[in-house]
Amino acid sequence: MTKNWTLAVATAALAALTLAGCSGGGPTGDSGNIDPTGDIKPRQISWLLSRNSADPVVTTMQGIADEYAKAHPGFSLKLVTTPDRPSYIQKYETLAAANKLPELFDTDATPFAQNLAKQGRIIDEEKLLKDLGIYDSFRPNALDYQRFDDGSLYMIPLEYQAEYFWYNKALFEKAGISVPESLDDFPAMCTALTKAGVTPIAIDGADGWPLERYVSYQPFRVAGPDYIKQLKTGKSSLTEPAGQAMTNWLSDLGSAGCFQKGFSSKGYSDAQNLFTSGGAAVYNIGTWELSSLATTKLDASVRDDVDFFTLPMTDGSPTAANDFVVTSGIGVAVNSSTFDPLVKDFLKFALSKYYSTYAQSGALSPTKDVTTTIPADATPLYQKAIDSANSAGSDLVMPWDTQLDPTSNTTVQQDQVLLVQGDMSPDDFTKTVDDVITQNAPKYFK
Amino acid sequence: MLPRRSRLSVLVFLVPPLALYAVAVLFPILQSLVLSFFSWDGITDLQFVGLSNYAHMLTGDPVFWRAFLNTLGYLVVCLVLQLGGALLVSALLLTLRRGREVIKTLYLLPAVISTVAIAFLFQRIYSFDPQGLINQLLSWVGLGELARPWLSDVNTVLVAVSAPEGWRFSGLYMLIIYAALLAVPQELEEAARIDGASRWVIFWRIRFPYIRPVWVTTTIMAATYALRGFDIPYLLTNGGPGQASELLTTYMYKTAFTSTNYGYASTMSVFIVVECLVAVGLILLLLRRKADA
Repeated sequence: MTKNWTLAVATAALAALTLAGCSGGGPTGDSGNIDPTGDIKPRQISWLLSRNSADPVVTTMQGIADEYAKAHPGFSLKLVTTPDRPSYIQKYETLAAANKLPELFDTDATPFAQNLAKQGRIIDEEKLLKDLGIYDSFRPNALDYQRFDDGSLYMIPLEYQAEYFWYNKALFEKAGISVPESLDDFPAMCTALTKAGVTPIAIDGADGWPLERYVSYQPFRVAGPDYIKQLKTGKSSLTEPAGQAMTNWLSDLGSAGCFQKGFSSKGYSDAQNLFTSGGAAVYNIGTWELSSLATTKLDASVRDDVDFFTLPMTDGSPTAANDFVVTSGIGVAVNSSTFDPLVKDFLKFALSKYYSTYAQSGALSPTKDVTTTIPADATPLYQKAIDSANSAGSDLVMPWDTQLDPTSNTTVQQDQVLLVQGDMSPDDFTKTVDDVITQNAPKYFK
Repeated sequence: MLPRRSRLSVLVFLVPPLALYAVAVLFPILQSLVLSFFSWDGITDLQFVGLSNYAHMLTGDPVFWRAFLNTLGYLVVCLVLQLGGALLVSALLLTLRRGREVIKTLYLLPAVISTVAIAFLFQRIYSFDPQGLINQLLSWVGLGELARPWLSDVNTVLVAVSAPEGWRFSGLYMLIIYAALLAVPQELEEAARIDGASRWVIFWRIRFPYIRPVWVTTTIMAATYALRGFDIPYLLTNGGPGQASELLTTYMYKTAFTSTNYGYASTMSVFIVVECLVAVGLILLLLRRKADA
């Protein structure tokens, strides 16, 4: 009996080994096959997305899908939405590992997405958009944001956003200061505001990415957009002047009390409420919040005081004043293994209508041939924000969370808080981040 | 020796649950063990790396050791709050003549509230601006200078994320220990009282030795739950600021699902299994030895 049991356990272990050994690695597909053959057979297709269900991108696309379904009975677009970005990324990466990704899914141009592209698991969008005849209608910035480092394009942009420093003029006046001309003026700005009893900057510290934007600013202004591309692959390091400017600047922002106390556990809406209720003087956010910052929805007590400035310069910067954070948002990738005549036909139909309808909702389109409709309840700031985004330069501040490999990104997001809080010195931050990049980058940037 | 027919019926009844256990528990553990010898990002091919994940974990990953120490801290806070609190409250309950049921129910209530609700609740309790309950209480009693953002301060965050877990389940352990205390024979206590034993001596020499088997079980339950603790720290701080509240479980989760380093995460999960087994062994050893002494 005992012998039999031992045998059974040994067999089970062997089976487990074999199974585990076989399950590695997903199937490879064909990114370039944009002409699937066969008839259009209507069925349900799914879109895994990281957007709020009230987001104009979602409502516009849903409307178009309903219209398509009328002409193609049996078709429907199922939206599987996870607005919280970190949760979404986990979900999407787990589904990718299980090879269960749906027809359409959101992703940034991350190293993980590039691996999917290398395996041919997502469709080459440059080919597809050219085939659909809409490639040339996009703003170059919108496409560039979605590209991998080698210039290839695997995601479709559905939005266009500029990020600004929104500020409260009345609070600046109270503190006797004006808009900072250089990034290096930020600590002094914060000191003056703190002295006047005002929280200088409202920030969502719980999510990591808003503070990581501040991490990206000094290196961009000091060394231009290529620095992060070198840094993330381990070819450059934070010991370079651009990196040192950043670590020292963040440390100075912390000692000047720039961010609200306890910011690391404050969420997105906490930060927004702090600014829109007049509790903080500065708030760094993108044009996706125009409807809450530049319309009559904004609290009347602060409505006339709110204005914005773009990313300030630094002395001797190789970048231009109109180069700031402009993104085309998280893009949409098309699964190559489920790409059939129906998916192609739906995308052709949807993309021919999407951008003009989207612009009518008051949003900026990633294409250049449509004009944004300013909503009826907009304040003059709305048009100003749109104009500023339209005149953005061609050098983009790439958000670091879309550039670094996931492990290095997690380390930066965790330790940036310590750096700002004064719990970690700039030197220790430099060493920790450089070490983690040296260790992890080779796996992602082969 | 059971007659042949009974042996068959025992097999018939035992094999399905054992098979289920093997598929649902043993197989994943075994699979983690296998995966821990590989490097795998989920989408490219598995690469056999031998023991290098273990070598990296034990010698080359400071975050792992930081998380391990934090887990021990989390364990201590949970055990003190859960077992200490449970023992204290159940001993006090015995002295009450009225209202025991109400207090028991109130004390058990947190155990039935969902984790997410508890995390939200404590986020507000610890808040600095707007002032949360703790900081408000401090300023009322004149200790306003001690007020701080409890979840952002690297010195307080570990205790702050451990306390809700301790608070949450202390009611459950209280109920178990209270039931055990009720079973202590009254005659023994009365005899001791007549002999002039103090309350403390009665508790330490009679009640506690009597409930020792239950105490061992609750300690094992509380310790293994705490070593696997994940949800409240993950929801409250996600391991931050920095790694100040990073537990082995949150670190393992991030390694698997954010860094997509499934092989290394499996190495950590194997460590967690071993760690739980060692903890149970130590508890049995210590408490048994005491019982024999």
